Amino acid sequence: MNSWGHVLIRVLIYLVAAPLLGGLLAGIDRRISARMQSRVGPPLLQPFYDVAKLWSKEPIVVRRSQNFYIIFFFLLTVFTGGLFFCGSDLLLVFFALTLSGIFFILGAYKASSPYSFVGASRELIQVMAYEPIVLLTAVGLYMATGTFQVDAIWGGAFHPLKALPGAHIPVLLLPGVFVALLYAMEIKFRKSPFDLAASHHAHQELVRGITTEFSGPTLAMIEVAHWYENVMLLGWIFLFFGSCWPAGLIACAVTYFLLLVVDNVCARVKWPVMLRSAWGMTLVFGFGNIVVLSLLK
Amino acid sequence: MSGLTRSPWVIHYDASSCNGCDIEVLASLTPGFDVERFGIINTGNPKHADIFLVTGSVNQPNRDVVRSIYEQMPEPRVVMALGICATSGGIFRECYNVAGGVDTVIPVDVYVPGCAVRPEAIIDGVVMALGILEKRRLRLRQDAQATSGDLRIERATAEDIPEILTIQKIAYRSEAEIYADQSLPPLQQSLAEITHDYERMVFFKGVINGKIVASVRGYDNGQGTAHLLRLSVHPYFQGRGYGQRLVAAIEQSFPACRRFEIFTGHRSERNQHLYGKLGYARFKSEPFNPQVEWVYMEKQRS
Repeated sequence: MNSWGHVLIRVLIYLVAAPLLGGLLAGIDRRISARMQSRVGPPLLQPFYDVAKLWSKEPIVVRRSQNFYIIFFFLLTVFTGGLFFCGSDLLLVFFALTLSGIFFILGAYKASSPYSFVGASRELIQVMAYEPIVLLTAVGLYMATGTFQVDAIWGGAFHPLKALPGAHIPVLLLPGVFVALLYAMEIKFRKSPFDLAASHHAHQELVRGITTEFSGPTLAMIEVAHWYENVMLLGWIFLFFGSCWPAGLIACAVTYFLLLVVDNVCARVKWPVMLRSAWGMTLVFGFGNIVVLSLLK
Repeated sequence: MSGLTRSPWVIHYDASSCNGCDIEVLASLTPGFDVERFGIINTGNPKHADIFLVTGSVNQPNRDVVRSIYEQMPEPRVVMALGICATSGGIFRECYNVAGGVDTVIPVDVYVPGCAVRPEAIIDGVVMALGILEKRRLRLRQDAQATSGDLRIERATAEDIPEILTIQKIAYRSEAEIYADQSLPPLQQSLAEITHDYERMVFFKGVINGKIVASVRGYDNGQGTAHLLRLSVHPYFQGRGYGQRLVAAIEQSFPACRRFEIFTGHRSERNQHLYGKLGYARFKSEPFNPQVEWVYMEKQRS
């Protein structure tokens, strides 16, 4: 089959399916969270109603240019997911995602409001906290599979460590990196105890942090961008299971459930705790794993 | 049914309540009542909220806070007064420091009496508010399609002054961005100063569906010249000819004046272009600060 046509079909499926799946995940998230608090919870499609509502609201801005950054944030997030699900280079995916995150932060800085500033500064600290392990994930996956290409890792194509048992499933060689990435996921998904930059709950010291000054359609765009992002993040988890896709799907479900449990049982921490613990996890589990892997070679 | 009625986000403010009603508001979020079943979320951020829940009789210090929260909420929005103190002042009505109910400060759409108000009543009130929200949404859509002909131009009254100040500050943001200077006088003006302006100047407002979206003011200097100032049009209503109509209206309100004067910044090309179209010509400029130079434009009445 024509490879370009193939890529195009994958992009189209991704563009349509990712927000649907992401919105549904957000709905499941809210429902499960409610059940954990012995509440009934909102309808499953609630996130879609929310976005539809936001779309019909009046756009209020502090500065008109702040929305410009959010449009780039949205486009880059969608682009990053597109790269990932088209099986492109993993390093490119990680760098593009960082760039989209930076646009989000710039947007929040542009809206000069103390709450927005606090949110943006904390978001920067969060980026600092999770970025090392994200890079180590790329390094680890390369060492385990010999390639940065997402497609090749999915396909289980090339393994320099074939002699080792279970080498076709990267997670068996990278358990430490996987654990450290799970820790970073808690930050990426904006869940307690690391929901420092943008809280989902009211009556916090930072109002809504990084999203405080965004309203109406722009807020809807941020929400949908997060759906795209979340689906891609689960894709990273899936990647660790290589060609063994049933295990990958189960791992995604278990990971998501785990994130929710932690979200519901933890109070948020202060930023130094987050930074130290995230770097600690990265150093001990992530870097340690990679050192062991290099000795095995 | 639109998304709006399925996802009403609320903000709650305690305007000197005894906390009885506040606790009931929070109780409706707990497992017992769980208003999130209906998609209701307590946002704590006026810019994300659709429904403004106010408890308490509103005393003097929090009048401004109530108004400020209300003004920061994007349309369509609904205000609910929860509890008897918020609806009428309750037993504190006669107190020297009490305004006596939320509707003395901002327009209230739904009144939910009770002391304290019951969570069931709050939920019932929110359901009523949803109908109003939906109506407002449809009207907002009409606003978005409004043309120059839909604008109603009137003399502003003293009650309009705070809203005009808000429009001024929103409209002059773009000017601040041109000069990278936050110290422009229109952005620095306080309510007291604009009230002083109101005492000596003529204010005109442009209204779309009951909401002020534009304003201009001017005064006669006593020597046959009318000075026009601070033409402000809300950014979302710019480019529809509202500014031109306002200037024309205020010019007519000075029948004795033969000459009109207006000024803007030297890099505010859109303003200069607009005034040029209205027949104004540049006659002098003088520096205001290192970034900004005022360009004065004049017009003789034909």
